[in-house]
Amino acid sequence: MTRTTYPLRLIFIFFLIQTVPLDWKFYRDLFSVNWFHYSGIFQLAHYLPRFGAVSRFADWGIFLLVAAVGALIWTYLEKKKDHPISNDALYYWLRVLLRYRLAIALLAYGLIKFFPLQSPYPSISNLNTPYGDFNEWKLFSLSLGIVPGYETFLGLVEILAAVLLLNRRTVSIGAFIVLLFTGNVFMSNLAYGGGEAVYSFFLVLIALFLFAHDLPRLVNLLALGRPTAPDTYKPVFAQPWLKFGRLALKTFVWIFFVGLYGAQVYAAAHHDPYQYPGTAGLAKASGIYNVREFRINNQVLPYSDTDSIRWQDVVFEKWATISIRSRRPVVLDSTNTDNIHTEDQDRTFELEGVAARHYYSYQADTAHHLLTLQNRNKHHREEQWVLHYERPNDSTIVLSGANQRNDSVYVVLDRIHKKYLLEEVANKGRSRSIKL
Amino acid sequence: MPTITSTAQAVPEVQSTREEGQAVNTTGALPVWKGYQKIAFRIAFIFFVAISIPNNAEWYQHVFSIDWTRLHYRDLYDIARFGSGINFFGNTLFGSPLYGYANWIITLLVAIAGGLLWTFIDSRRQQPTQAYNNLYYWLRVIVRYRAGIGIIGFGFTKLLPVQMPFPSLGLLNTNFGDFSAQKIYWLIIGIVPWYQVFAGIVEVAAGTLLFFRKTTTLGAALLVGALGDIVYVNFAYDGGVHVYSSYFVLLGAFLLVQDIPKLYSLLIQRRLTVPVYYFPIFKQWLQYTRIALKAGVIILFLGVLYYLQLVNYWYDPYKQPSTAGVRTLRGNYRVTEFRINNQVLPYNPLDSVRWQQVTFEKWTSLTYRVNRATFIDLSNGGGDPMRDINRTFELTGTGGGQRVFHYYADTIDHVLYLQDKYKPVPDRRNRVAGVGGDQNYRLNNGLAEDKKNAAKKDSAEQPFIPASAWAHIGDENHMIDKRVWTARRDREFATQPKNEKRKKMLLHYETTDGSHVVLNGIDENKDSIHIVLDRIDRPYKITKSTLDAGKY
Repeated sequence: MTRTTYPLRLIFIFFLIQTVPLDWKFYRDLFSVNWFHYSGIFQLAHYLPRFGAVSRFADWGIFLLVAAVGALIWTYLEKKKDHPISNDALYYWLRVLLRYRLAIALLAYGLIKFFPLQSPYPSISNLNTPYGDFNEWKLFSLSLGIVPGYETFLGLVEILAAVLLLNRRTVSIGAFIVLLFTGNVFMSNLAYGGGEAVYSFFLVLIALFLFAHDLPRLVNLLALGRPTAPDTYKPVFAQPWLKFGRLALKTFVWIFFVGLYGAQVYAAAHHDPYQYPGTAGLAKASGIYNVREFRINNQVLPYSDTDSIRWQDVVFEKWATISIRSRRPVVLDSTNTDNIHTEDQDRTFELEGVAARHYYSYQADTAHHLLTLQNRNKHHREEQWVLHYERPNDSTIVLSGANQRNDSVYVVLDRIHKKYLLEEVANKGRSRSIKL
Repeated sequence: MPTITSTAQAVPEVQSTREEGQAVNTTGALPVWKGYQKIAFRIAFIFFVAISIPNNAEWYQHVFSIDWTRLHYRDLYDIARFGSGINFFGNTLFGSPLYGYANWIITLLVAIAGGLLWTFIDSRRQQPTQAYNNLYYWLRVIVRYRAGIGIIGFGFTKLLPVQMPFPSLGLLNTNFGDFSAQKIYWLIIGIVPWYQVFAGIVEVAAGTLLFFRKTTTLGAALLVGALGDIVYVNFAYDGGVHVYSSYFVLLGAFLLVQDIPKLYSLLIQRRLTVPVYYFPIFKQWLQYTRIALKAGVIILFLGVLYYLQLVNYWYDPYKQPSTAGVRTLRGNYRVTEFRINNQVLPYNPLDSVRWQQVTFEKWTSLTYRVNRATFIDLSNGGGDPMRDINRTFELTGTGGGQRVFHYYADTIDHVLYLQDKYKPVPDRRNRVAGVGGDQNYRLNNGLAEDKKNAAKKDSAEQPFIPASAWAHIGDENHMIDKRVWTARRDREFATQPKNEKRKKMLLHYETTDGSHVVLNGIDENKDSIHIVLDRIDRPYKITKSTLDAGKY
């Protein structure tokens, strides 16, 4: 029985402290998790310890240092022992730990892609925003959002890789898929300014470690064309409770991360997609409206492409959001990490990474025809409006009221019967040119 | 602390057993081919040879007319990208192209017939050949080189990022919903040139690995992984290159067939696995020939093509016009005043005549938006046109009333001769690519019914640009850097453009430094227009990359 070597101890500690939650925040989250909502399991699966508000590669330096020192102490303690841990066993258990860690991460992401929730179809406001007014990360998400079938396919690849990782004999195949797939996710995070570069590279690192196991064998067999002996290490679970323990753990992962989480995500895809607010908007109002008439403090402002006060157009979403395009600058909400929120006010995907329009959530008092607007952007929280609405006909909305500074407005909105090239081509194909 | 074995330990120790592996093919002898394997092989042989060989005369004409002293990147690209498969019987099955895959099925049917015939002949021979290992080896060589060269030709346009150009000002100003899905995919890669480089490296690396026997498996696995994704992307975004990308998946999968039983034996069955590779022993002169051919392919498709693609990226990015626009006229402009036939139209977003959001691109294009339906070219804006006016990426798949005009500038008399970059009958593109082109946009394929409309000539065409102005404008062919003056470019500029039925405008411009521009002249409907433009600072949230194709 060979003793554990220093490098393996170091790697073991390095991965252990990033895989097994030592962070008190994890347990805070664990007990506050809503088990009936998929946001809870996603949040747990998305765990990665960090020192600052966001994960940085610099954190890994610290983990590496801890691992280096820890391995030294371990070496010192081991010398005194009569029955040291064998290299094989430690390596085996580390691989088990990492296989499950990686599989759980892939399932968490794979399922919200398989039921295409992660990148939803663009909102009406986003469809009516110039390309150059989005940041790269938002464009990345919207571009995936227009093709839910492709998003499902990507989810399927992640789920397939996870299943292969959960099976001991197919680990290398699964790890190879992860290297290609999550490697590309990592590159995309770098290229598009995503916030999950560290997390995705952590997953790539695990896949590298797992794949390294069979790499020499594969090189020997496929590149050098030499006879190759397989991996013959096989754990023996001699005692019954170990057998049952193993079975129970395996079953738990399948039931919890595939069954329960999968069912929750499936239900959410139909009733509770997480990127957009859930509260319904004003009935039959959704669409884009031209601002035919605009008065501020009783002064008429004519159409203008320079004025920063006049509204240019207004969008009513299907949910309770109104967006107003004007030349008043927007301070960008540049959130670029993946979070699943349960409350409408936290579901800010529609305004993340995009300028040109101001986004407001509203509460509608349909009895008194009042809309209470609140700017959704954390940089423009102070802005509020209370607007009375009238709907003289199906395509006209008249708004009048004032904001928190008592500026009064009177606005007449005409519905624009906008046809989007995106949708026209999706319906008719692009075999010949069309007029639009 | 719970223990598993009898020894006391801190970490649960699992007892291990080491099994003696069952050896597979320990003798190292070449396998004997079974009957069904031979039949399958004969079919596969005919099929893969057929889809690895160019099937259209235009490709051969192209290759024999290449001027090897003044190469254009597209000369080599076109060698690498050709239509293949058996097409004597057309490319439709029961009248349907089956998304472009009908050719594969026809080729397979012919291969099955040929394979059975071969089997029949073999059964009658006294001493049927046993050289299947040899034949399989050579079939793999053909497929390896076909796939390798093809994907490298494709990959270099990404490695030196020109396949998906960075969006022009006009495109940046267009609403997200006013693009086709195809356009959105091209743009999402276009905004991150460094990522495009990465994608190009993956493709070129996969191709290069296929040139070497020992790295073929890795190359084929990369090819199947990367191109498999691209197939799905093309279906999802209606990209039109699904058949050509599937083609590489098919070739890659064929190359992996040999390794799958070995991988299954080693990883899943956990047996001692003895690979047997057949490798023909060459006579010395054959060995030299082999090395020379291999070196030739590598020098041509990795060395020369890299250089050609690099100068293309620097001076002549093929999807954007390569001539610099008038230097003072650059950027985003607000239409401060708009008069048509001496009538002032005030700003109104719903006005169907008044121009909005004018841009002068850094190349020879003027764009504006107007709230009126217009014809939209839905091709992918690719192909190999040399003239700026035919480089259409800035308008294809783009709606929202965006109009794009190419201009020749007489900078002495200050006149812009503008022509609509949209034309109803586009030129045929990707001639040698066969089914490899953008097949979803049928107008580019030069179909007969579309050609009928093309026959009409421009009626009573006045010479649009007088000879005196041409003297001021200069020769478009030579307006770019000398390093990209190629035989191919000369050839295209020597031929008159066809189907030039375009909207035209003639505008006189006045400006001092470009911040304030007055345009006067005749618009596309022969109305007189007077337009005052003021340059605006239009910040974007997309950041400009450090990689910037072209010199303007």
